[in-house]
Amino acid sequence: MKSKVGVYICSCGTNISDNLDFDELVSFTSSLEDVAYAKVHSLFCSEDGKNFLADDIIKESPDRVVIAACSPKEHEKTFRDVLQKAGVNPYLFQMVNIREQVAWVTDDKAAATEKAKAYMRAAVRRVSLNEPLEKKEIACNTDAVVIGAGPAGMESALLLAKAGRKVYLVEKNSFIGGRPARYEDVFPKMECASCMLEPGMDEVLHNEHIELFTCSEVRDITGFLGNFSVKIKKKATYVDKEKCIGCGACYDACPVKVKNEFDYNLSERKAIYVPYTGALPNVPVIDEKNCLRMKGEDVICKEAFDLGLITQEEYEKHKTRECSLCKQACMFDAINYDDKEEIVLKDAGGIIVATGFELFDPAVLFQFGYGKIPEVYTSLEFERVLSQTGPTAGKLLMKDSREPESVAIVHCVGSRDKNHHEYCSGVCCLYALKFARLIKKHLPSISIYHIYADWCVPGKDNQAFLDSVKAEGNIRFIHTSLPMRADIMQEDANINILCTDVSGKKQEIFADMVILCPAMIPSKDTPALSNLLGITKSTDGFFAEGHTKLAPVSSNIEGIYIAGCAQGPKDIQGSVAQGAAAAGQVLSTLVPGRKLELEAASAEIDENSCSGCMTCIGLCPYKAITFDKEKKVSVINAALCKGCGTCVAACPSGSIKGKHFTDQQIFAEIEEVLK
Amino acid sequence: MGFLCNWCSYGGADAAGSQRKNYAPNVRVVRVMCTGRVEPEFVLKAFQSGADGVLILGCHPGDCHYKEGNYKALRRYYLLKKVLSQFGIEEERLRLDWVSATEADKFVDTINDMVATIKALGPLALSNPALAKGVSADFQEDTLV
Amino acid sequence: MSKPKVAFYWCASCGGCEEAVVDLAEDILKVVEAVEFVFWPVAMDFKVKDVEALRDGDIAVSFINGAIRTGEQEHMAKLLRKKSGLVVAFGACAHLGGTPGLANFIDRKTIFDWVYLNAPSVSNPDGILPQQKTMVEEGELTLPEFYDTVCTLDQAIDVDYYLPGCAPPPDLIMKAVEAILSGNLPEKGTVLAPDRALCDSCKRRDTKPEKAVIKEIKRVHEVLLDPVKCFLDQGVICLGPATRDGCGERCINANMPCRGCFGPTSRVVDQGAKFLSGLASIIDANDEQGIKKVIDSIADPAGIFYYYALPASMLRRKR
Repeated sequence: MKSKVGVYICSCGTNISDNLDFDELVSFTSSLEDVAYAKVHSLFCSEDGKNFLADDIIKESPDRVVIAACSPKEHEKTFRDVLQKAGVNPYLFQMVNIREQVAWVTDDKAAATEKAKAYMRAAVRRVSLNEPLEKKEIACNTDAVVIGAGPAGMESALLLAKAGRKVYLVEKNSFIGGRPARYEDVFPKMECASCMLEPGMDEVLHNEHIELFTCSEVRDITGFLGNFSVKIKKKATYVDKEKCIGCGACYDACPVKVKNEFDYNLSERKAIYVPYTGALPNVPVIDEKNCLRMKGEDVICKEAFDLGLITQEEYEKHKTRECSLCKQACMFDAINYDDKEEIVLKDAGGIIVATGFELFDPAVLFQFGYGKIPEVYTSLEFERVLSQTGPTAGKLLMKDSREPESVAIVHCVGSRDKNHHEYCSGVCCLYALKFARLIKKHLPSISIYHIYADWCVPGKDNQAFLDSVKAEGNIRFIHTSLPMRADIMQEDANINILCTDVSGKKQEIFADMVILCPAMIPSKDTPALSNLLGITKSTDGFFAEGHTKLAPVSSNIEGIYIAGCAQGPKDIQGSVAQGAAAAGQVLSTLVPGRKLELEAASAEIDENSCSGCMTCIGLCPYKAITFDKEKKVSVINAALCKGCGTCVAACPSGSIKGKHFTDQQIFAEIEEVLK
Repeated sequence: MGFLCNWCSYGGADAAGSQRKNYAPNVRVVRVMCTGRVEPEFVLKAFQSGADGVLILGCHPGDCHYKEGNYKALRRYYLLKKVLSQFGIEEERLRLDWVSATEADKFVDTINDMVATIKALGPLALSNPALAKGVSADFQEDTLV
Repeated sequence: MSKPKVAFYWCASCGGCEEAVVDLAEDILKVVEAVEFVFWPVAMDFKVKDVEALRDGDIAVSFINGAIRTGEQEHMAKLLRKKSGLVVAFGACAHLGGTPGLANFIDRKTIFDWVYLNAPSVSNPDGILPQQKTMVEEGELTLPEFYDTVCTLDQAIDVDYYLPGCAPPPDLIMKAVEAILSGNLPEKGTVLAPDRALCDSCKRRDTKPEKAVIKEIKRVHEVLLDPVKCFLDQGVICLGPATRDGCGERCINANMPCRGCFGPTSRVVDQGAKFLSGLASIIDANDEQGIKKVIDSIADPAGIFYYYALPASMLRRKR
């Protein structure tokens, strides 16, 4: 079928017409096959130009349009809108860039004219092969699943809830607040961490739009932006949240004592417990691994009997009796030994991943003595030592309950080290300074040593913080080089620390306590979650952001956002900012009543042509391609396809069509520009 | 012949224009959304249609608008170069490079450098082995020797 | 009414296509019953003059196998075209150039130098090369011109249909014959085979992981091939994803990967380039060094990717 192509050539004032033979271009264009007419204007993008264009298209009713003007990146959208209004499908249109890529870059007028003619010829031929495309729209769910209830996740949840969005907040621990729930004060203003966090935590617990799942994890996810379905596994906790008032009678009654992980094993807890006083939600959980009843009490009695600790009579009496001390102690009948793990399915439009960080295990670097020398702590352990709710109730004491006379703080453990973690965690210097300040507050006459490689204290308050700590006195700063090396050994009652400073001088320090500042690393669930959600990690193991600068909370999958330390090491301020940013992404992408517009120039697999070789599936950066196991063909989800064309180019049997960039269209363009 | 990705290199070419930077006029550009769309067939088509050299320009590694299309282009590029050399086509006639939307100078330098390289190599001059197709009116049935 | 006339001719090919006709077994009797052979040099005693004597278009269909490599082949193809209603390019060589087409990676001079001068088994002290005309006592002897380039049949003449394969399998031959006899023919230019790629019917597809990647390519003699696993997943090149289905997976069943004799699907111009694109796309590396390491493990990529389809490719021959 012959097409009727209308061509409009813009002189762009004289920007174009001055630099090539404009009349020659117009007459050449008019002579091309399929061209019904070629008309000129001095500025098609002006109001006057657009009106002329719209009126003329209505008058002439071409079935395809070519506009030769500036770059399509400048005005393709402008003209597509005009075409749409004038009743021509916006994809039955080609733009010819005769300004940026012809008139402005070629001194030789004749050469410029030839180039413009080649592009014109190509556009006219290509536009005849263009097909009309329609933008499809789909409805979307505007709720969100937030994974992780630390500072970032809580901020996301609170902002979304504030906008009236339903939020499913999934936390693997029994408490919310994340790592900072363990801190006493936070830098640089030495604010009380719990005072800072608690209002938000309280709001999370009571906001009607937030459904909190503690002791829970995401097990599966299907769907795409606006239409996710998330499977959440709620572990059995054996305590009814509705009935429990958090009085603590149950854990007082529990006969079991085990190490408390919340305090990094520096304290003990019961088998039914809240990890620390003030934990929210204030509802205990039963640790089924250690609960006598769950373990089967008779086993314990049998052991005791075998060891001769109890008599046969006592054994017979106790072996069948299951421990129910906590249940007996509970005045509200909140203990339910029959509680079962539960799988809950929730639909959501967006997912925010805020799964936080953990610390590099310094035991790997045996020179630091961690794990062998009792008074060598990691920074998080030391946070607990300082905490009012920690093992020493906020007193600065060693494990033998003595007050230390000297403390050494070692920076950059396992970070800024190519063999371990190349990056700088960016917060260690600041919390190390915070430690110095707090240690002094407890024991003003103590000696403090900072063994550091550089000061990394960016941000508006932090340099002043460093300077003020430095000014306090009784702190020795030992500047070493990278990677951090310090040989830490127990020598009698003291810990001996050997290192070399930047001048090459050997330094020997004696201290009672040593605090290591290990690299912040991705939380251990990161790889599994990466597989589950299909979001990629960067080389350092954290979730990869969409763009380092411009898309810091996007993932590679639309509708899944990352926030806080799951994306990379950062302080609370940075985590909260990203939590807010991720909430903003959900709010602006998923709007109630608004449909999601799908890319019209997407890729499409012809199921009658596809052989099911699956070459394409792993190539899609948006995971838009799946394999239909019944039909044995690959299928592209139009809602996820962005139209990059990678799969189109890779399909060995040519069964994927890249709409608006088909082989035929591009072949035609190549042939014509090279004629 | 140049295949330019919409987001980076086509933008780089536009930037060269906005800054009125002159470069060799004998390059012809086809815009694609991503270098990941550039098929080896497009390159062969360009050579077949008379191009003496082919440039594929895309976003820098890590900067692809579609995350990783440029890596797919890179993989095809090296294999295609090896195949082209088996076809007797000098490797320099196909070049893939990264030009961001702001790198007007790099765009201009890349074009000029490519044009100079191709000029030094001379025209590609593919032999056209097609036989005179069809049976012409003057076909002599009994001319079989 | 007289039976439709049929011709069968052999250009640059191995003869396997002629064998394929014999492979029709009892079905060949149905064919013989239905048609009148007017030219079939390998099986029956006809001369070229018999063909010349026919009226133009008198032959209902000519099946021509083999590529066009010599002047004689080109002439015969043109003669049969003139005398025939339909011409079917029979087999991979006529369709795509076939393995003889791999000679397009070299040229006539290189071939002659080797075959007539330099091969160790050759004794040709006077360095005599084939001549188109040679005078002997009895008169002038002639030989057809040996072309520099191998061409597909449709590069020499207009072709109506293509029967792909090396050689075409009996079921497709019979289907084609039945379609021609019944006049129930598809659009001119159609390849008379399914238009999906081979993976569609390959039993090994189910063993292929959804996200297969290529870490190293091995040649078939370097690896003990698993009899059920996808070849590509074993790191062995198999052109199945880029090759038309319909062959009956004869190679696959013999534990050999596909070499592409059925040519590309209708949606692809250049089979080798398309396969290259798919294969390279799943290389498991993103940096120059890693990519080149994988590519270095592919011996003679052009030779493998264009095993059957070099003359039909976009570049057709080595420059």
